[in-house]
Amino acid sequence: MSSTQPDAATIEVIRNYLTSAAAEMQRTLIRTAYNTIIYEILDFGISVYDADRNLIADSPGLTMFLGANDYGIDKAVEYVGEENLNPGDVVLLNYPYWSSTHILDVMVFMPVFHDDELVGYTTSRAHWLDLGAKDPGYVLDSTDVHQEGVIFPGTKVYKQGEPDQEIIDLIKYNSRLPNKVIGDLNAQIAALRTGADRLEELHGKYGSETVDASIDAIIGHGERTARRAIEELPDGQWSATGYADSVTPGKDDKVKIKPVVTIEGDEMTIDFSESSDQIDAPRNIPFGMTQTISKLCFKSITTPEEDSNEGQYRPLHVTAPEGNLFNAQYPAPTFTLWPAIIAVDIIYEALAKAVPEKVAACSGGDLCDIMLYGQNPETGRQFVEANNEGVGWGATEQRDGPNALMHITETMVRNIPIEVFENKAPIMFDSLRLREDSGGPGKLRGGLGIERNYRFTHPCGALSIIQKTETEGWGMEGGQAGAKNVVVLDLDDDWEERLEVYVDLDDLYDAQDADVKYAGMFRGTFHPDEVISNRSGGGGGYGDPFERDPALVLEDVIEGYVTRDGARRDYGVVITDSLEIDHEATQQRRG
Amino acid sequence: MAPSEHLAIDIGGTFVDSITFDRATGAINVEKASTTPADPTIGVVNALEKVGADLESTSAFVHGTTLAVNALLEREGARTGIITNEGFRDIYEIARTNLPRESMYDIRYDKPETLVPRRRRYGVGGRIDAKGEEIEPLDEDAVRQAARELVEEWGVEAIAVCFLHSYQNPAHEQRAGQIITDEFGEISLSLSSDITGEYREYERTSTAVLDAYIKPIFDNYVEQLDGTLRDRGFGGSFFITRSGGGALTADNATTAPVHTILSGPAGGLIGASYVGDVIDRGDLIAVDFGGTSMDACVIEDGAPAVEYESALEDMPMMIPVFDIRTIGAGGGSIAWLDGDLLKVGPQSAGADPGPICYGQGGTDPTVTDAALALGYLKPEDFLGGEMGLDADGALEGLENDLARPLDLSVREVSTGIFEVTLANTVGAIREITVEKGLDPRDFTMVAYGGAGPMFVPLVAHEMGVEEVLVPQAPSVFSAWGMLMADVVYDEAQTFISVLDEVDYADFEQQFVNLEGDLSEQLTSEGFDGGQQRLERYVEMRYLGQEHTVSVPADGLSDLDELGERFEKSHESRYGHTMEDPPQVVHLRVRAIGEAEKPSLEASDDVASGEPQPADHREAYCFTEDAMVDFAVYDRADLAPGHEVPGPAIVREPTTTIVFHSDQTAAVDDYEHLLISGGDGR
Repeated sequence: MSSTQPDAATIEVIRNYLTSAAAEMQRTLIRTAYNTIIYEILDFGISVYDADRNLIADSPGLTMFLGANDYGIDKAVEYVGEENLNPGDVVLLNYPYWSSTHILDVMVFMPVFHDDELVGYTTSRAHWLDLGAKDPGYVLDSTDVHQEGVIFPGTKVYKQGEPDQEIIDLIKYNSRLPNKVIGDLNAQIAALRTGADRLEELHGKYGSETVDASIDAIIGHGERTARRAIEELPDGQWSATGYADSVTPGKDDKVKIKPVVTIEGDEMTIDFSESSDQIDAPRNIPFGMTQTISKLCFKSITTPEEDSNEGQYRPLHVTAPEGNLFNAQYPAPTFTLWPAIIAVDIIYEALAKAVPEKVAACSGGDLCDIMLYGQNPETGRQFVEANNEGVGWGATEQRDGPNALMHITETMVRNIPIEVFENKAPIMFDSLRLREDSGGPGKLRGGLGIERNYRFTHPCGALSIIQKTETEGWGMEGGQAGAKNVVVLDLDDDWEERLEVYVDLDDLYDAQDADVKYAGMFRGTFHPDEVISNRSGGGGGYGDPFERDPALVLEDVIEGYVTRDGARRDYGVVITDSLEIDHEATQQRRG
Repeated sequence: MAPSEHLAIDIGGTFVDSITFDRATGAINVEKASTTPADPTIGVVNALEKVGADLESTSAFVHGTTLAVNALLEREGARTGIITNEGFRDIYEIARTNLPRESMYDIRYDKPETLVPRRRRYGVGGRIDAKGEEIEPLDEDAVRQAARELVEEWGVEAIAVCFLHSYQNPAHEQRAGQIITDEFGEISLSLSSDITGEYREYERTSTAVLDAYIKPIFDNYVEQLDGTLRDRGFGGSFFITRSGGGALTADNATTAPVHTILSGPAGGLIGASYVGDVIDRGDLIAVDFGGTSMDACVIEDGAPAVEYESALEDMPMMIPVFDIRTIGAGGGSIAWLDGDLLKVGPQSAGADPGPICYGQGGTDPTVTDAALALGYLKPEDFLGGEMGLDADGALEGLENDLARPLDLSVREVSTGIFEVTLANTVGAIREITVEKGLDPRDFTMVAYGGAGPMFVPLVAHEMGVEEVLVPQAPSVFSAWGMLMADVVYDEAQTFISVLDEVDYADFEQQFVNLEGDLSEQLTSEGFDGGQQRLERYVEMRYLGQEHTVSVPADGLSDLDELGERFEKSHESRYGHTMEDPPQVVHLRVRAIGEAEKPSLEASDDVASGEPQPADHREAYCFTEDAMVDFAVYDRADLAPGHEVPGPAIVREPTTTIVFHSDQTAAVDDYEHLLISGGDGR
């Protein structure tokens, strides 16, 4: 192989090598991790950088961890000092304002050397189960970052290949689940080593000059592709405003999210400065995470099918002033930074005004997570199980929205099978079904959300992490929003002694029964035979629902996606008892 | 004389391969006919006539067919309905709520239509809990009513029944099945618990639905083909290859045809294991390079790797299937430019129009065109001279579409196409070796399929594999392998318990029950005790993990020993053990009925002197990185004992073997070519 200007085949071979190195890192992490949140919910991000810390390959578990280590690697290397990095070092970082999420998403990286030259970095971030926060599991109401766990600002946990036992002990003694946490640290390091070996191999085989030139070509290709895609879009400025749920129980203090998108030539800017200031609740977003969700939206309209690299994001600029919700400053708490997830649909709402043909109407808009914890009555063992729910996706000008899919920020995540869940936790499900009439009406209908009913068989702890229940999503071109997310709790009458309901929706749903609560976020202990009904939101519709072909509305009624009442109310289509269209009545209703 | 002929017929996308073997004489005949999608039986009959099979003297007919998978891919299966628990009819549609990986950033993703729309999914009262206890009795009237509506209102031809926790207690499914059969005897029925005893309701439902969806078509086909063969005097046994190894009787295949759905590549793996056994190589990587794809599978200690959950078009199946890695890279794969990057596949020119050099109207340059440009194929040699090649057209296509835009020569762009294909292949093979803790350098690669013998020596070179085995007739090796199939059945039972809490008597009894069922099955098919082999496996994990490890459980003295075996397996696969308690998840038994089959005999030929090249030509040597002189041999001229130094090309009528300057091919006693050297040495 010649070592100068590499040819097209060499570049493609090297690109393939890097991509499969990242994929191999992911599989190593999944196989060796100790906690289900990593290997089932895929709460991790993996990336490979060159010596200048350009992203050259990634393999995120959660879609929203695309490029999630980009900000952290810069901050950590600045903190440690590039000159202090040696072969075999592993550096730990979870200072949220640098590592870009919350304290439990712990990032580790390893510098990679070839012939004594620094040639790149491998990184992984993954969700650990406990680092001594004020509450086990999730912290829902911290008021500063120090209630959320122990902080590592860029700390060497391995020095030149040797573990630093003092740091490892420090981690152990500050965790409620020391074995799991150390197991996960080792799994992350195993993944880093896998990637580092491959990167070294690559430099050994082709020589650093060829590898560097190929990386330049790969990044250049990424940048050109993204710029071309943006160039085809109209210039202008668009914004949208949405809200995450109220923070203070009993008070309407919803959190304002307002991205402003500007397209100019072959560049795009997303600015968050008109959003809320940072708040005294764990909803704040470190700036690195703000960049990451922006990259996700940007990627899905420019290079959705390509492997990620630095070049693809060069035409994107993200801004938010310090102290803004989207650029949280110390000591703002960040534990449940869900507004970052909710913001994704709001960025798409702004983009829908610019390039409707590139996006879809709003999805159900959240992860709809229920977490159960406590002691298994059969085995006596402690357990934590979390289950995210699919939501309805939004319609486009070409198709109805799909039913029941995980939110775009976590599209690889799977729900937990009923038969697995009933074996692990003291519950028996009453039902799991699509929510009829939950899809946003439109000429093209939004997708349906899910209703899942958990019935407890023994006492058990439970909480919900859902922050979009008070407000609805949005349709496009006259289409309407889908049904909102809501949790309906069917309780014994002493529930107030056991449950904290952070977001009470009784008024919104005009609740009549004192033992049936409508809620967003809650936490507490449940009795046998009490029921949690988790209902995820529907997708938004596209176009005027009164223009939907009555034959399609009839199909939806036969299928049971839309009720006859819904057909009449939302679509103006009257359907008879024998499931036929009453054309005359329909014409009258539709005017 | 007793019937002594064996016949195997493998239906592929383009060709029907047929092969006969005469046990008395050892003679093997091979033929190819065209696939006839409209009525596959015609293609089968053409193929067996072409190969001159004498059905009256045929004792065993082994058949591999893509009929079921095609019915699924083309959505031409039976109109199917589902009966499940009340409140849960949407499990099948909600599925696991994730998107396919390739669509992970696609905000405009469209979910494919389900095989069974909501209107044909019914919930009925009755509930069994996680321990297998009945919480609510089955509502029999509701079952009857649901079946009636499915049949009378929606016109279904097949019904899949799946109830929660039926892996623990199948009573409700069995009773529902009985009711449906009593009322609508003609309807095709698939009970999830008949196919798999494993937990996870969506995957089990999906498996039952796939089975129901293909069953009526499969039944008809088998009945029709069986009748046609019998009419022609066939009186032997009729076997169909299975997705997870071996074959089953045609009768048995029709009770759960989902087991045959991925049987396409099975023949090659059976053949590779068999050849490996004969020449004493237990650890193999089988690499099948065809026209459109590369399929690779690891064979360890003579057994191809099997996985217990796979998917077809993102529809999961809980049946054992060979763990095969497939990538869209074959002789027909199209090379193209993405800006200034050179890509190969996954689009393929297929057999029609095919590569440019076929001269059948193909206009996109392919891997085969690059092989021609590099000198490996010669126009007048191709397909034994039956089919000429359009060399000028191929070179022109490479020049115009690729070389000129990239400012490279045709030779450079052609080596590039090989390098890119090679990188994709190596990546796929690393996934099934290195990432599972296996070192590919400890394996022999088996090269087959039309393009295998040209590519695999390069793959081996790249991965440091020391030896490549090229079997006889590599382009029809899959059909040959089918002749070697044993009858195999698998059964599994979910048995969730922490190891410390396992009741050993109960554990043992569950195994005995599984073995009893399977052994009875084999006996009824004529396998006596001496021809039966039963293997036990336990799937285990650490408490809290999701992924299980399969632990061989034959000859176990107690549960502690099982724990030790598990720790050893976990350690060797993942590099560590854990402090959490081990947990048993599934018990599995594989029952093998050893079929009578041809044996591979050493050749009587002996090498006389050095092998003589039939020709010489310029071709590209990847070791020298240059066009050099290659000696060209005819495989028919090579005999046991011959050694052929590289660089060389060995011609066969339907394939071309290429090895490079630091490699050597030796001909063994069975006339296999064993290629060694290169980086592996």
